[in-house]
Amino acid sequence: MEAKKNGWKLKEIILTAMICIVFGVAYLAAVYLASMIAAALTPAGLSPLGNELVFGVWFMAATLTGYILQKPGAALIAEVTASVIEVLLGNWFGPIVIVSGLIQGAGAELVFAAHGYKKFGGKVMYLAAAGCCVTSFLWSFVRSGYGKFTIPFLLLLFCIRLVSSLLFSGLICKLIGDGLSKTGLLKGYELGRSHEA
Amino acid sequence: MKSLNPGYKLLSLMIASLLLSVTFHVRLNLLISALCLIVTFCTPGVNRKRLALGLFPFFLAAFGMFTAGFCFGTKGETTGVELSLFGQDTLYAGNLTTAMQLSSRILAYGSLGILYAFTSDAFELVMSLMQQFHLPPKFAYGILAAYHFFPVVREEHAVVGAALKVRGVRAGPLSAKRLLPMLVQAMERSESLAMAMESRGFQENEPRALAFQVKLRLRDFLFLFGVNGMIVGGLFLS
Repeated sequence: MEAKKNGWKLKEIILTAMICIVFGVAYLAAVYLASMIAAALTPAGLSPLGNELVFGVWFMAATLTGYILQKPGAALIAEVTASVIEVLLGNWFGPIVIVSGLIQGAGAELVFAAHGYKKFGGKVMYLAAAGCCVTSFLWSFVRSGYGKFTIPFLLLLFCIRLVSSLLFSGLICKLIGDGLSKTGLLKGYELGRSHEA
Repeated sequence: MKSLNPGYKLLSLMIASLLLSVTFHVRLNLLISALCLIVTFCTPGVNRKRLALGLFPFFLAAFGMFTAGFCFGTKGETTGVELSLFGQDTLYAGNLTTAMQLSSRILAYGSLGILYAFTSDAFELVMSLMQQFHLPPKFAYGILAAYHFFPVVREEHAVVGAALKVRGVRAGPLSAKRLLPMLVQAMERSESLAMAMESRGFQENEPRALAFQVKLRLRDFLFLFGVNGMIVGGLFLS
């Protein structure tokens, strides 16, 4: 087996950005749904729950890119790229989104790094999704002032975000990654090669 | 606002947001959001209709945070003032403060973001990131190339959804059934894009000539230090 190259090829960068765009579109579609739920829950004071439901979608770019490219920095760079694209598209949370992207990507990156960028099974994918969830939740304390909520409510928020991350960034990303390598399109990338072997 | 260097503007507003995130200052938050919205509204060339439409979800989010803080906020330094609302809930003044803190922060963030989003251009930002912040050109042009496919991908999302519907398959906006065909397309497209760029002479580590120069001027630093100095000053004064 050849040594893994750490440099980024142009096609890998464009692939990463493309994945971010696809998930960006899917996220936009989902966010309408989520904001409707959020609006419906507002009188009960539960509106953050609507956002938490689709929170896992944010990490999909990180875990899927990490899964496909399997190289150091892939998850982090993908998540930052996703946030830069968000800003380009005019996300109204603007600049702070890039900081969020950095922190969320770091969550997945840490998990992949802990496994030496060698193991990419289902377990690692779920762990990476959970990693994003944990770092992003910590960031929520700083950014959205979650420290001001009571503990039972925080637990509820955390559980929903965890389920959302595991479902979207863990399960669905794993399915998509495996489905893509079955099509043979990934032969030029690490995941496709490992499936061939 | 439009003549500022987009990269530095992004940096200034990012630092401003971070400064706000370590504090819970209701009046400062409200002041900043009002100021940003006014500046955005008064900048020539801003699409005011889009701005008004964009404000709607933004206030909704802030209101959502308000009720959440109201119902589930920690009691904080309750002063014993009790308010009875809806006949059944006993609410504390501490909760109201929490609610205000959380929702005013959303307003402040959102308005900083809106100020940025409505006065900046995507292409200029990427150019500025490349020229002033040393983003490698392959990332800059790669991101730009993909960015321009956004409308195509959005259309595709609808088309794939419709195709699945015709076949009687139910698929939500985020289901793997729907994302997989889109990603297959994305893979192929990114390979051909990369090939197209390389075959037209895009080389990674060669010196590049720039057709479009993003300038960095004194006013960019004035903005950076002005905005953040104002926030720090506001925090100390109060």
